[in-house]
Amino acid sequence: MSTAVVTVQRVRSERWRDAGRRARTFAGRYIRRSDGIVGLAILLAFAIVAAFPELFVGKLETAVSATGSRLAGPVAGHLLGTDELGRDMLNLTVHGARISMAIGLMATFITIVVGAVVGIVAGYTGGVLDTLLMRVSDVFLVLPTVVLAIILAPVVLDVIGPDAELFGIRATLIVIVVVIGLTSWATTARIIRSQVLSLKERMFVDRARVIGSGSGHIMRRHILPNVINLIVAQSVLTFATAVFTETTLAFIGLGDPFAPSWGEILNAAQDSGAPGLGAWWYIAPPATCVVLVVLAFTLVGNALDDILNPKSGGRR
Amino acid sequence: MSGRYLGRKFTQALVTIVAIVILMFLMFRLMPGSPDRALGRNPNLTPEVIAAARARWGLDKPLIPDQLVAYITSTATGDLGYSIFYRGQPVTDVVGQSVGPTVLLVGLGEIVAIVIGLLIGAYAGWRRGGVVDRIGNGASLVLYSMPYFVIGMPLIIIFAAGLHWFPTSGMISPAAESGPFSGYLIDLGRHLVLPLTAVSLGLLGAYSILMRAAIIETRAEDYVTTARAKGLTESRILRAHAFPNALLPMVTLIAINLGYVIAGAITAEIVFNWPGLGTLTIEALNARDYPVLQGIFLLVAVSVVLANFMADIVYGFLDPRVRV
Repeated sequence: MSTAVVTVQRVRSERWRDAGRRARTFAGRYIRRSDGIVGLAILLAFAIVAAFPELFVGKLETAVSATGSRLAGPVAGHLLGTDELGRDMLNLTVHGARISMAIGLMATFITIVVGAVVGIVAGYTGGVLDTLLMRVSDVFLVLPTVVLAIILAPVVLDVIGPDAELFGIRATLIVIVVVIGLTSWATTARIIRSQVLSLKERMFVDRARVIGSGSGHIMRRHILPNVINLIVAQSVLTFATAVFTETTLAFIGLGDPFAPSWGEILNAAQDSGAPGLGAWWYIAPPATCVVLVVLAFTLVGNALDDILNPKSGGRR
Repeated sequence: MSGRYLGRKFTQALVTIVAIVILMFLMFRLMPGSPDRALGRNPNLTPEVIAAARARWGLDKPLIPDQLVAYITSTATGDLGYSIFYRGQPVTDVVGQSVGPTVLLVGLGEIVAIVIGLLIGAYAGWRRGGVVDRIGNGASLVLYSMPYFVIGMPLIIIFAAGLHWFPTSGMISPAAESGPFSGYLIDLGRHLVLPLTAVSLGLLGAYSILMRAAIIETRAEDYVTTARAKGLTESRILRAHAFPNALLPMVTLIAINLGYVIAGAITAEIVFNWPGLGTLTIEALNARDYPVLQGIFLLVAVSVVLANFMADIVYGFLDPRVRV
């Protein structure tokens, strides 16, 4: 075996050991954040429920398969009462977890991909492209995104038709996902760009450039791995916002009645006059879940941000 | 304040507003039911009639720049088109009628939330780790995670449907509308309590969290150490030195937040059936009244941009360091 191969192997194993050490340091710091641990526990519970809703409450009840009486309070067979169609609230809320969190996850994915690409390209390239991208992000930062989403969603829906499907997902949900993604990437782009600006002045970027690496290669292999921490922290915080926004949009009536997310359930509750009738069991379960999930993601996101983001260390 | 700083901020605001108007323009072209499609659907129209109609509406001219310029001009002069739902009424009139209640709700909500939120946040940040900090920060985080309508719905269940202390919906009862002015005010107040509580509570969390962070940052500044070295009391350092300086970032944050507040107020209005922009938004959404929806968005967007511009100016006055 030549010395070069041995060196490469040694460097690789060194790298792995390094990664292991960093992971341990990170775990050590995270475990001391009690708020982060509480958030993580809540999230795990919701993740399990969202992954296997049938295991807990059986199939999603519809107006046809509803088992209870209309808008009745909690009884033995229906621990959380029923809605105005006689559907079991526990059943709806548990299935709502999957829908709300799936939409949140997809919207977060779009937000982060767009934000990271814009942030890295703008920060690394600089010049006119940077100025242009940042002016665009200025506009999106100031724009009231929820209000923009309120007018964007119905327009897109009317153009493509509410019954269209993409990858087996109904158009209504896709529209909500895309609208949230397209209106909330600017914050992420800003945060990542500022980090890239300082990264690109570092020695390893110069070295890569000197040995002839192209811009694309440097951005993928040298810049991206160094902002991945930020991206993780930002993803978790974005998820909280995405679930929040989805709930708001669904509540306003832009959700899909056939895929009842928590916001959609609250919309149905409002439409059937549940608050004025004092039907608390119709509102409390989905509302509590929304608050718990948003709160948990915020707690985890803040903890991650404090640990992973060099600019916010130890502020809280 | 240097003219250059002012000029740059002004250009920024203007560019944003123009970008919003162009976005609106493009969306108008995307929308279903455009005049072109309507004309094409009628088999009895001769090509000449269609051409004449297109010429009258300016559709024969190129999209950019002619149609765009015409759109920007009419938008700038306050012509936002006509509502579909409220037949024949100009969008400006329809939206204008709903602005008052929303401004009342959001304005009062902002005042209440700013006063209480900043005080709680400042005290919590100053006595970091104390009782007020633990309870206040925890409650703020929970409130921060609640959409306004999620705060509003339990309020109705408890205080309106349950205890009957306040009415469940609306802004004024029909009886009070024609009665004496004092009765009108009392009735308005009774209707206002619950929506105002929902909006204030929703806002309070964010302000208290941000103020706490600002105070904690300020506490480590040299001038605070100096003030302490001079022998000032803790409360005087907080009131005279830390609090005013921590207020600086809040100016920007309150302006940036405005868009979220209005969006939140829209959902709160729906819950309480408050006759403002939120209720109008739902009506327009259900009727697919696009001109009105766009009018609402334009109004909100321009207000937010202007609020940010004003915050930049105020900040420039307060903090000489940014005037470069």
